[in-house]
This record gives sequence, structure tokens and C-alpha cells, in this order.
Amino acid sequence: MTDTRKEAPDQPLSGAPLLRKHLLLIVGGAAGLIVTLFVMNTLFDGSLEKMTGTTDWRNILLVNALVGACIFLFVVELRRGAIRVLLTVIVALLLGFLVTFVFNLDAADRFARGEFRVQVVSDAEPTANDDVDLRFNRVRGGDFNKPNVVEPLSEVAWTFAGADGDLVSLLAYAKNRRSEVDLLVELRDDAGTVLAAATSATETQVEEKFDDLVSVKDAVIEGYELPADGVYTLYAKPEEIATGTVLSEALSQSQLAFEALLLGPIERVNRWGVWIQDAITLILLGMSFAIVFRAQQFSLGAEGQLYFGALVSGIIALNSPHVPGVILIPFIILASGTAGFVYGLIPGALKAYLGANELVSTLMLNVVATRFFEMVLNFQLKPPDAGYVASAKFTENAVLPVIVDKTQVTVAVFLLVVVVFLSWLLIRRTPLGYEIRIIGSNLRFANYGGVNSRRTIMLVMAIGGIVAGLAGMHLANGIHRQLILNISFALAFEGVVVALLARLNVLVVPFTGLLYAYLRAGAQFMERDANVSFEVVRMIQAIIILLITAEALVTFFQARQKRADIDETGHTVESLEGADG
Amino acid sequence: MPIIETRGIHKIYGNGVHANDDINFEVEPGEIHALVGENGAGKSTLMKILYGLEQATSGQVFIRDEEVAIGNPQDAIERGIGMVHQNFMLVDSFTVAQNIILNRETKQGIQIDFQSAVSDTEALSREYGLTVNPNARIEDIPVGMRQRVEILKALYRGAEILILDEPTAVLTPSETQDLFAAIRNLVEGGKTVIFITHKLKEVIEISDRVTVMRDARKIGTVETAQTSERELARMMVGREVFMQVDRPEVTRGASVLQVDDLTYADDSGHQLLKHVSFNVYQNEILGIAGVEGNGQTELAEVLTGLRPPTTGEAFINDEQILGRGPRSVREHQVAHIPEDRLTNGVALTSSIDDNLIIDRYYREPFTRRGLLNIDSIVENGANLIREFNIIAPNGAIPVNALSGGNMQKVVVARELSSSPELLIAAQPTRGVDIGAIEFIHQELVDQRTNGLAILLISADLQEVMKLSDRIMVMYEGEIVGIFPNDESLTEERIGYYMLGAERQPAEEMERYA
Repeated sequence: MTDTRKEAPDQPLSGAPLLRKHLLLIVGGAAGLIVTLFVMNTLFDGSLEKMTGTTDWRNILLVNALVGACIFLFVVELRRGAIRVLLTVIVALLLGFLVTFVFNLDAADRFARGEFRVQVVSDAEPTANDDVDLRFNRVRGGDFNKPNVVEPLSEVAWTFAGADGDLVSLLAYAKNRRSEVDLLVELRDDAGTVLAAATSATETQVEEKFDDLVSVKDAVIEGYELPADGVYTLYAKPEEIATGTVLSEALSQSQLAFEALLLGPIERVNRWGVWIQDAITLILLGMSFAIVFRAQQFSLGAEGQLYFGALVSGIIALNSPHVPGVILIPFIILASGTAGFVYGLIPGALKAYLGANELVSTLMLNVVATRFFEMVLNFQLKPPDAGYVASAKFTENAVLPVIVDKTQVTVAVFLLVVVVFLSWLLIRRTPLGYEIRIIGSNLRFANYGGVNSRRTIMLVMAIGGIVAGLAGMHLANGIHRQLILNISFALAFEGVVVALLARLNVLVVPFTGLLYAYLRAGAQFMERDANVSFEVVRMIQAIIILLITAEALVTFFQARQKRADIDETGHTVESLEGADG
Repeated sequence: MPIIETRGIHKIYGNGVHANDDINFEVEPGEIHALVGENGAGKSTLMKILYGLEQATSGQVFIRDEEVAIGNPQDAIERGIGMVHQNFMLVDSFTVAQNIILNRETKQGIQIDFQSAVSDTEALSREYGLTVNPNARIEDIPVGMRQRVEILKALYRGAEILILDEPTAVLTPSETQDLFAAIRNLVEGGKTVIFITHKLKEVIEISDRVTVMRDARKIGTVETAQTSERELARMMVGREVFMQVDRPEVTRGASVLQVDDLTYADDSGHQLLKHVSFNVYQNEILGIAGVEGNGQTELAEVLTGLRPPTTGEAFINDEQILGRGPRSVREHQVAHIPEDRLTNGVALTSSIDDNLIIDRYYREPFTRRGLLNIDSIVENGANLIREFNIIAPNGAIPVNALSGGNMQKVVVARELSSSPELLIAAQPTRGVDIGAIEFIHQELVDQRTNGLAILLISADLQEVMKLSDRIMVMYEGEIVGIFPNDESLTEERIGYYMLGAERQPAEEMERYA
């Protein structure tokens, strides 16, 4: 790895001593191992029997070991930068928590909302009076502060008639356990004077006396003796919510949400599968961008190349129902890669020989590819009787073999390992990779040195296309198992983030892909489990990405820290290194 | 009482580089104070601190015994400090007067009063003997005048202390003399001048006192009258420096490069090279003198395949080399030290090792069976680092961690180690410190003595005269004279040719071509 040290911008000027180098390996290895074990432990609740009882547990272990390996590579490649990335993720998560908290401040609203019932319970004979709203022992109800209603019901004042000396109990309670409304009840005479009031019920009242009560939040005025004959009013409304309640509710909701975000993806094997399958797509896309960006070519063509790869592999899959999978799958892989290659070559050639800006040309070509995909899907591939725009399901022989039961974790995992290795080989161990790196570092220097930069630029964009084409194949033949509209779900552009997070280092891309996919999966489960709206989830994601990307911020704080250290310790270079390490 | 003084200035950059270490620096009013030091010695940093472009990590700055905090150039200007940068900061499409009053416009209503701008400029220009044409556009005036505009601009803003950052780097000898006259005028007018340079000859000529810096520290301040170039060089480098290059007599060999009626016009049709023909022989250094921008850059780039010629041919050992790109030229054993090493000569963020193989990475042993051979790449790096005395812990660090001189050594090491037959060296020592200059000069001469043909392009006339066997002068894309470099050739004489005032008769030129 001697020639590749520049990929780690934090490389100290002095050559790393031997011990330090080994230390790095140990730290990286330990981090990887810990994560592997942690994921396995969480997946199977720490029970070995549960693990060995699961089908394909060996493959799960294998994939998690690969996850550990990604973390190892991340630590070893980025060195101190890895700590920086981790710190940033933590800070971002804290900020995200804060945002979730703020958005959950209305979580306590549910106490002011919901279906309720009121009742005047009495053993006395009802007084004959047809004008009143309530009769003894009859239940009436409604729905307080129903959302999306023009004039929501916020309080009720219903009348009942009673005689002097009648013993009555007034109840106001939630309709059932699902409506959590916290109620207040008052007894008023016909002049409006409050005779009695209550905001809660006792345990005994709930458990024994009144069967209808749901919780202690319901309100009961028990055994009130009416002072005179006449009409009385039962007044009921949701209780005012105390600030403390609001805050503690928001907090506990946010905690719930973050638990879902942080642990959701590894709670069960099927969820874990969602994470891994997304990660495979994202890593392939990230790799595609990392390779192309490495040569300072800002090609965003992965989206289009993905669609082309998916289309080609889909067409082959649909037309070869009888070819054995052992032959068909490698052929599909090859074909989708070729499709991506060709579709990457076009903007590459345009850039190299006509000077067309790759950003513009790839974005345009993306439109062409997605529309072409839709057209072919709509008019050629869609079965005539299909109710929606999608191809027929692929036959079993054309689907990437699943390696973990009940998930869509397929042999694409192994394909990915090969892709990562080959990308590394390409970038760091081939003359072409050298040309790519030098062009990325200084195009004019490359030209001066005699590098055929046009050819290299064209090739690098085409090679990026291969990997993006494979991502399309993975989506079509691994995940959806048919061609559907919008097959990429705009994942392609998230690949940009993955590549940038990895600082275009192809060995770090697997880690950042996993991290990003984890956050995506976590966000899904956060929405599902914790009732956090998807917008909030996206915002948290954005904050995290922003912070991680805004590395300058961290550098800025470090620089300040250094300055402060120098002032205190008397300006020695040693103190600098101490502060840094 | 010093007009400006620093006490205990420390500057540590964010990347940990200690650029100024306890600098106590004093300038007396009315003196010309030279600040010398190698590149990376910290003189620019110190000046940037005085001008508010950088903040000191610790330490104090005093102006007339009053402690001041200079947070930005605006503060500096208000306290009477003006700076003329190496790269001029002028608006090319504005006139001289407009540039001078920029940001300080006197207004009539909402209109800028250009009339008074012109008259102010004229008055100022007369007062200090800095001749400029107030109505000329910057893009139309020569470098020397642009520099005077910069100085006037600083004076217009009320500068009492003028910092000139390597002002002579871009000037011809006669322009340098004009500048020195102007500086003397300024001092007579009560201004104080701080003069940054690494040309010791100029220091001796113009300054009253000299402060020498080395490795972020101040080595000392001496009266110019009581020192010598040699003494100053020793202070700068920290050891004895041999200013003279040992250039043994050799008879030149066969012609290696033959340039035949070469013409080059850029995209907009400007003729930048006009019918250029000459030869470079084995065992000789052919130096090209000329004010920058007279076609030297284009000549080097056409000859190295970076630009296609419009017409004409060039032969290396009788093989036509032009029109097939840089690699083809390099494969004819041509090495090239490019003029601007930061843009062309190195990839800053790539490792030293990677930078040292740009011309050979695709060949054995660096590529074997389609894969890079890391071992031999590292070995190549380590060998060249040792051989060319590049100060770097190992070859894996990026080139941008090196000082300017060491970066240039990386370029020189790569180019000279490619066993070339012709070396095209453009500005090989620009921005390089004395120690490295000495090394590079000696290396060039040694290679020439061993048979290499060298085409040397330099804006530094002294360098050309010191190294060359023959000197060719270019003016506006043409060769205006070719001379053997003997005692009869003087700087002044070449200067006339450089400015286009004289032209060698064709037959005499042919004799020496």
C-alpha cells in the first residue's frame, strides 16, 4: 500500500513507526470483531440456540463477518480520519435526536384528543324532564379535538335533571385504551356555579367501582348529593396538559424513535436483510461514483447506467426461462456490466473528444435511459393482462440465489467482494489506475507526463458504468425479481454521498455504504415503529449527511484547539502533536 | 525609535508548520530594509502578519512604539502599511488611474470623479518619480509599469511603510534599475521600505540593513555596508555556499535538437512564435534570454508536444518529433522541467513516488504483467530522494508537504533520471532557495559536461549568463540574437536585445545558430 498513502489525508508527516502501524491493525480488527459480534448478538438475542436454530445462520455470520471486515478497512484506511467520521456521526445523531424531540413536542397532544364517554350514575329514580341531554345511567359520548374537523369538539356541557338528595356520580372517561384522552369533569348548577370537580379517578374506582372507566386519567365525581330539585350541568373537557408532561412525553417518544433508528435494522433477520440488500446496491453505486470521481470527472451517469444494466439483465431473464441458472446468472452479470460500460462510454467519449461537460451530458443521458426503460417496460415487457406497469416475475433460474432465507440477501454479496477487490486492484495496482489517480490529482501534470488523458477519462467513465450496471442487475434480479417502474428509487444519487463520505477511497466505500444503508433502513423502522413522520426522518438523515460532509467544520475546531493549546503551553511543536494524537 | 517592530512573533499554521519562531524584527524609519531568506524561511509569513493577512499565534507588533493589533489588511492600511505583492492585484481592464483610486474613489454626487483620479495619479507619480500613464489600461502596459502602479496604489492609501515582496523577480535589468531609483526616491520622501528578496546582489546594491531568516528563525540583522554576498549566503543557508558554478570547458558534440522554421499561433490567431530556427548540441547549454511572455513558454510547450505547432518542424537526432503528443516526444529521450511546476510539473496531492514515475510508469519494471510493481516504484522513489537530496521522510508523503525547492528537486530528479539526450529546462530555479539553486545549477552543468544537450529558458538573466554556452534572445516570438557566451557579452547588451531595441543581422545569427 506504499503508493496509496495519499488516500489517507491524515497521514502524519513522519513515517508511522512499526508499532503504530500494528496498533492500527489491532484497533481496526477489534472494531470489526466487536461490531460483528454485536450484530449477531442483537439479531439472535444473545442465544446460541436461537442462532443455530435459524436457517442459513452460517451465511448470516459470514455476511456479518464481511461487515466487520468493512469496518476494519475503514479504520485502517482512514486512520485518524475514522475517528473524525465517527465523532461526526455521533454529533449528527445527537442533533437528530434534538430535532426528533422538537417534532415530538406535540406528542402529548394525544391526551387532549380522542373519543370519550360521560355518564351520570345514580340509584335514584330519574326525574321526568324531556329537555335534558342526559338521563341517569345512560352513556353519551363524542370525540374531542378530532383532527381535520372544521369545528372540533373541545368541551361538552350536557344537562341532566335530579331531585333534592339524589346521590349521583359523574363520570367522564376515554372510550377505550386507544383513546388516551385525559379528562376533567365538573358538576354545575343551573346558575353555572361549579359544585364539584374532578380530574382523575382512583385505582379502586377504575378497578372495582365503575366498570366503564379505562384509566386513572379519567375523571370521577363520586357520590355527590344534589342539594335541590332542578336541572344540573355535567361539564367535561380534556385536561390542560402540564409542560412537564409535554416534555417527558416528547422525550420518551424520541427515545423510542431513536431506538428504532439505531437498533431497528438488526432486530430481526428480515430487517437485517433489508439493510444488507440496500447496502449492496449503495456500495455498488458508491463504488461507481468513487472510481469516476477519482479522476475528477463529475459524471452523475450512474442512474442511467443502472437503468440500462437493469433493462438488459431483465430482458435476458425474461427470455431465458429454460437456461440453467449456473450459466444464465454469470451471463446476466456480464451483460449488465457491459450495458453499463457502453452507457458510460458515451458521455466519456463526448467529454474526451468533444469537450462536452460530463455533468450535463450524464444528467441528460439519465433522462434518456430512464424514459427508454419505461418505454420498453410499458410497450414490450409488460404482460398484456398486468394491472400495473411491471414485467412478469422472473423465473427462478434468472433470480440471484438467496443465501439467507426470508431475505433478499443473495450471492450478490460475493459479487460485491469481487467488485471491491477489482476496484482496488484497478485504482491502486494498474497503470490505468495510476493514470486515473494522476488525472484526478492534476490533469495538466498527466498531460505533461505523456498520459493519454482522453482515453483514460473515457475509460474511467465506462468502468464506473460497469459497476453501476451491476447495481441495476442487483435491483432487477436480486431484489425486485422483475422490472418495475422507478426501479432505482433515486438511490443512484445517494451513491454520490456514499462515495464522498468514503473520500473516494474504494476500500472505504463498503463501510460508508453500510453506514448509509443502515441509516436508511433505521429511518424506515423509525417511521414504522415510532410514528415519526417520514419528513422528519429525511431531515435527520440530511443533518447527518450535512455534518459528515462538512468536514471543514471539524477541522476548524481542531485548528482552534491547537491554537489554544499553544497559547497555554508555550508554543512547542510537541504540544501540538500531543493535542492531536 | 523603530517605526515598526515585532517582539516574539510565533506563527504555527493549522497543519503544524512552525513558520515563525520568536521573531524580533525592527525597521528604522526612512531605511531600506532587506529581508532575505530561502523559500520557506518564514519571511512571507512575517510580512503577511504585518499586513494583516495572517494572524500571529503569539507575539506583539509595535508601530512607533505603540502596540497594535492588525486583524486584516484594512487595519494595516490605516496604520500606514502598504504591500506590493509578487502577483499583482490589479484589474486588467481598468485604467491605471482607476486601479489606483479603486475603493478610495472621490465622488461627485454618485459619480466617481475620474478627472481628479487622473490628476491625483499624476501628482503622486511626479512626487516619487514613478512614471506611469494614468489613462492606459493595465492590460496594455508592461510589467515594470504595473509594479509602479501597485506602489502608487499603496502610496495613495497613505502608506508610510512599503513592503515589496520579491519585486524584481519579474523585471528586466533596466527595469530593476528604474525600480531601485524609485525606491531611493521614496526613502528620500520619508517613506520606509521593506524589501523581500533572495537575490543577494540586489540586497547589497539597494538596502541599508539586512535581516536574514532561516528555518522560521531570525538569524540576524546586519548593516549592508559591513557585509558581503558571501556572508549573507552563509547566513541564509547555514553553511558555506559557492556562488560560482564550476563549468569546465568542453567541445560541443553533434546537434541533438534541430528546430526548423517553427511557427505557432494560438486559437485567437496571435503569432506567438515566428519562424524560429536553431540547434542545440551535445555538451552544451543553450540559454534563452528574454522578458517573460515573448514566446519562450510556447516554444518549450511546442517542443515538448504539449501544443501542436502551426507550421515548422523539430528533429531529435533527425527524427521529426512534433504533432504526436508529449509521450512521443519523451520517448525520443527528451526531458522537460516545466516552467510552472505547481501546475505542470507535479501532482501536489499525489505521493513523491507517484510523481517520480509519470514518464515511465507504463514501462518495465514499474508495470509488470499489466500490474504496477509497487516495490520498484518505491525503490525508484527512495533512490531518487537519496540521489537528489530531496528532504522528505519517505516517498509516500504527498508532494504538497514539501518546500518549493524540494518540489523542484522532485521534478529535476525525475527528468534527469530518465537518461535524456535533450533537456528542456524552463525556469528551473524560479522560487527555489539558494541551497537548491546551487544544487540544480551544478546538476545541470554536470549533465551538460557529460554530454546532455540542454535548452535553458529563464527570466533570470544572471542565471542564463552563468550557465549557458550560447545565449539566444527572444523578443515577441522571434529570435533577435544568438551569441556565444564569452567575456564580450554583457547583461546590458543582452538587455537591449530583450527589449527589442536591437537586432542581430541575419548572417551573424545564422553563424551561431
